[in-house]
Amino acid sequence: MIAASTQNVYLPKAAVLERVVCEIPEVKTFYWRFEDTTEQKAFKHFRPGQFAQVSLFGVGEFPTSLPPSPTEDETFFTVRQVGSCTSALHHLTPGERFAVRGPYGNGFPMAQYYGKNLVFVAGGIGLIPLRSCIVYALSNRDKYQHVQIFHGAKTPKELMYVPKLHEWEQTPGVECHLTVDRATDGWKGNVGVVGSLFKKQGVEIPVENTIAFVCGPPVMFRFVIKDLLAMGFAERNIVSTLERYMKCGVGKCGHCCIGVAYVCVDGPVFTYEQIKRLGEDI
Amino acid sequence: MKARILQRGDVLKIVDLLRLQGYEVIAPFRGRGRDTYFDTVTDQNRDHLQLHLPNPYYPPKRFVFPPIERMMMFQRSDGKIQIEPAYKHPKRAIFGIRSCDLAGIFHLDRFYLGREFRDVYYENHRRNLFLVNVVCTEPDLDIGEECFCVCADTGPAARDHFDLQLVDLGNEVMAVAGTPAGEMLFSDPIFSKGTAQHIEKRHELLGRLRKSFKKDTTSWFSATVRYVSQGEILEKTWEEIGNRCLECGGCTYVCPACTCFTVSDRQVGPNEFERVRVWDACALSGFTRMAGGFNPRRSVHDRRNRRFFRKLAHYFIQRELSMACVGCGRCAAVCHGDVGMPTVVEMIRAATNEAKPR
Repeated sequence: MIAASTQNVYLPKAAVLERVVCEIPEVKTFYWRFEDTTEQKAFKHFRPGQFAQVSLFGVGEFPTSLPPSPTEDETFFTVRQVGSCTSALHHLTPGERFAVRGPYGNGFPMAQYYGKNLVFVAGGIGLIPLRSCIVYALSNRDKYQHVQIFHGAKTPKELMYVPKLHEWEQTPGVECHLTVDRATDGWKGNVGVVGSLFKKQGVEIPVENTIAFVCGPPVMFRFVIKDLLAMGFAERNIVSTLERYMKCGVGKCGHCCIGVAYVCVDGPVFTYEQIKRLGEDI
Repeated sequence: MKARILQRGDVLKIVDLLRLQGYEVIAPFRGRGRDTYFDTVTDQNRDHLQLHLPNPYYPPKRFVFPPIERMMMFQRSDGKIQIEPAYKHPKRAIFGIRSCDLAGIFHLDRFYLGREFRDVYYENHRRNLFLVNVVCTEPDLDIGEECFCVCADTGPAARDHFDLQLVDLGNEVMAVAGTPAGEMLFSDPIFSKGTAQHIEKRHELLGRLRKSFKKDTTSWFSATVRYVSQGEILEKTWEEIGNRCLECGGCTYVCPACTCFTVSDRQVGPNEFERVRVWDACALSGFTRMAGGFNPRRSVHDRRNRRFFRKLAHYFIQRELSMACVGCGRCAAVCHGDVGMPTVVEMIRAATNEAKPR
């Protein structure tokens, strides 16, 4: 009737925090590894756009994007301090233990995008999930055509992954455009919302054979979608990743279900065509 | 399926047989008032067992999916952490489970054990669960004001998913085995072979039963399922339903087919923590609220929309091969605003029908 014992999908595996890097105010990157090396190896098969569940003992568990690309050696999370679990993670010091399970979710179908132009549009910490795809695309550079990155933040201090941004700016065959809402600290670059970069002189976004990745706060998302649709992008060629309150990550607890989709197993990556049909706020 | 006949007076011997096989037998008992409840059968209360009585308010769901369940323990020592899963492997039988609740358990099976990930905690409770279904054949005792299993197509006699089914024919009881485990019981001398007359009697009884339901507690699902699945329901209708919801979460608590849970950690010792899962309800506003305060489902009618969409949309019925409503009528009995399933089905059907161009 019912098969013998099953693997426990809810059981996290112990991990060690190795080092912490401050990205922007309230946002830090946590480098970690599993205590068990076989776990580490198994985990490294994740796809860009998937997520993991992070356990803080006695506090709880939260879902978080995987910013590293599977082509990179290190595993890390970039997390904003916003609730009790993320605060507990922010208070850990290197050497301390927490636990991780995953990877979960569908991820971006990067192989389907072979031979296409890639346009990345990230507002603020929306760059966290997209970082994985960008690094993945650049380490498989010959498989993709033109790569453009548009990243906007409130102030220059809030630009994400600054060393990486500089690296991308220097990479031949990659366009990296930055903008801030308010110019402070002697900012010389563009001022305005992310969408203002699309109209900048010298910027040309190919619409044919292009996939647009959009991640950012709801307001930014709505305006960027409007711009892209006006440019002629098809709804199915715009992809994003959704965030929801989640407990299990495996389609059982019911919290992340929108319309017919469980964000944790059917997502978190959806095309705009799908998002529109889900029928709920982003 | 094999069937046998036993004397009405021997029916509790099935409970004894199961207890001898090492099962903890759960059965519905009558409380001091009109209420009934599920409890473990002991030597003391065994003789108080009844075949016919109102179905308890709390469904037997908790024997496969407890309201609070420890999932694992974390122990910290010398900077290291030990993560130990907490498993229970009960061997239980439910004697007297009604057809609606049986359908509820089948639905949970499909949900927790189907698809990509299996739920090991549910599986542990389910693996050794023996189900003795009693068909509601005494309208006055068994069939409540709110019952609508005939509309949900789950009763009054379940067609499947039981180990043993008992149909009370008066002086005799017909036992039908649904599984090899159920059939094994037939080796006991209390069971004897039936005749064509027994089958005829059962057939006639079940036919009569279908007419024993109250006229005003019917629930015509088909049109509503179509409207919900095709998104044809007006926002106004959801608002009307939402306005009557008191956000108590009672409907999810008594539902035999609701599956949602939340997970919570707490400290239980100086260096010891436990992780438990607790039933959760989509009626509650915190259900979708994220850290930082953003809540994509703020208004109550959005949340009511959610519950009934999840239960009635064709996509999910197909996915679990059963509707997440079994027609037990508990939500209708428990709801202070009268927006239990039968009322909502009727409100949606009437309002959408009216609004449609002719």
